[in-house]
Amino acid sequence: MLIEELEVTAFLARIDIKDEEKDKYLADINAMLAYVEILQEPDVTDLPPTTHVTELRNVWREDIVRPCQKKVVDQMLDMAPAREGTFYKIQKVIETQ
Amino acid sequence: MITVKDLIAKIYSGEMKSADFVKECFDRIKKIDSKVKAFLKLNEENSLKQAEKFDKNIGCPQRGMLEGVPIAIKDNIMVKGESMTSASKYLENYISPYDATVIEKLKVAGAILIGRTNMDEFAMGGSTETSFYQRTANPWNIEYIPGGSSGGSAAAVSSGMVPLALGSDTGGSIRQPASFCGIVGYKPSYGLISRYGACALASSFDQIGIFSKTVADSALLASVISGSDYRDPVCQPKDHVDYTHDLDNNYTLKTAKIGIPKQLLDYEVDQEITKCFRNSVNKLKSICADVVEIDIPAYKYVPALYKTIMCAEVSANIATFDGVRYGYRCPNGKNLSDEYAKSRAESLGYEVKKRILFGTYVLGAKNYHRCYHQAQKVRTLLINQITNAYNGCNFIFSPATLQMPVKFGDNLSEECDIFLTAANLVGLPGISVPCSFTNSGMPIGVHFMGPRFSDEKMFQVAHAFEKISNFDTHRYPQV
Repeated sequence: MLIEELEVTAFLARIDIKDEEKDKYLADINAMLAYVEILQEPDVTDLPPTTHVTELRNVWREDIVRPCQKKVVDQMLDMAPAREGTFYKIQKVIETQ
Repeated sequence: MITVKDLIAKIYSGEMKSADFVKECFDRIKKIDSKVKAFLKLNEENSLKQAEKFDKNIGCPQRGMLEGVPIAIKDNIMVKGESMTSASKYLENYISPYDATVIEKLKVAGAILIGRTNMDEFAMGGSTETSFYQRTANPWNIEYIPGGSSGGSAAAVSSGMVPLALGSDTGGSIRQPASFCGIVGYKPSYGLISRYGACALASSFDQIGIFSKTVADSALLASVISGSDYRDPVCQPKDHVDYTHDLDNNYTLKTAKIGIPKQLLDYEVDQEITKCFRNSVNKLKSICADVVEIDIPAYKYVPALYKTIMCAEVSANIATFDGVRYGYRCPNGKNLSDEYAKSRAESLGYEVKKRILFGTYVLGAKNYHRCYHQAQKVRTLLINQITNAYNGCNFIFSPATLQMPVKFGDNLSEECDIFLTAANLVGLPGISVPCSFTNSGMPIGVHFMGPRFSDEKMFQVAHAFEKISNFDTHRYPQV
């Protein structure tokens, strides 16, 4: 990983990292990348990837709304750093010219 | 402290009062937890009230399986109306709006939830040192780590502050600290216990599991908290299984073939662990049908596989912590994107951020195929080899860890938990059972791993081993 890649990755992951932290992140992440290089060793061309260990397959079902008490809804909204009515309040996302 | 099985018998016979026992637990906590620091929060007043209420209704015919029994809960499982921090600054003020399924079941069974235990932040770590709040010590020697990530739960049970605790296990996070602290640690088959209401780390590995002093107590608690749940779609086991029912079934053990991985020789294993493991193998030879060598070359990929896939899943799961719906929000964000980035930077610890960055990187378009997709294929290779090994044996037996606990600040090797983590990668049940003490008085554990959903038989084998191991389950650390 190069410093530019770290910066792009941090932007994608929405983690603000300071200039003085970058060397440590780079050293640690590059050590991890070197460590996992061993996974290139086996020939697994013909093997399917495992995403899950269960035998379950996706099935369609009706989208049934299960009731949730108003009190619980309020409790959950109350936990938000900012709310307005029954909405979560965030910063403006559409800039005006 | 007595076992849960005996405690229940004494409470029901009237020989002991639940309130007296709960009080004993809190007395012990007050005496030693300032040194061990296993608990983040305690629930003393309510616990005592609940125990007294139970004592009054002792004759009531409708009683739960764990009525009056105290239990500690890792701080990443939701209990309605209580805070749940996952040992992170991000969730410092979070109050759970509902009960996790396991908590619902514990409440129905009458268990008394006495407090919340410390852990690595979001369960990321193997020493409980990444907790934002405090550092938990190993009760057998408080200069050493208790292991992790469920270190608080392990330390609490091992030091006799509580007889049972819940933890979560993504790569060995129950079984490794259980081994380091000299108690039983059980991780169920993937999909046996619902994870609804538990804070996700890596969803294709995560399971809630159990700490106890004996195998029988783990089997009892598993009987209470397992079962299908529509709210955790991967959780589809049989309902109402009593794992204690056939615990003394000698047939299982007498006919069992125990496999020892040949790959053990490839690693530098602590000398005292090696000695203790050899003794354990000899003991098994005296009671099992056969002890055979098995060959799983893909074991060597386990730590790298775990790192790659776990971090990728972490980067997706932890994306939910953005400061919008709950948790920490930075007050100085210039715009929404900046607010996300600063909220996360200021409230998540280094280990968590490093894993998110690594996971994001291996999932990126440039690296996805070479890193993440390749790891998923190597995971298939490991699954195939382990599945194949079970054609020649019923259970895989190994030391729980390859290293003894280290002092605070020192690192464990990458390979320390290799035999535990394999169970998560393949979705298998695993149980670590204490077997001996080192010369310096630190406990050592061994690990049984069975095929998927062989939990019932695995409890039987582990229970039988416990009996022949001569490990003194009544011995408690002098803190």
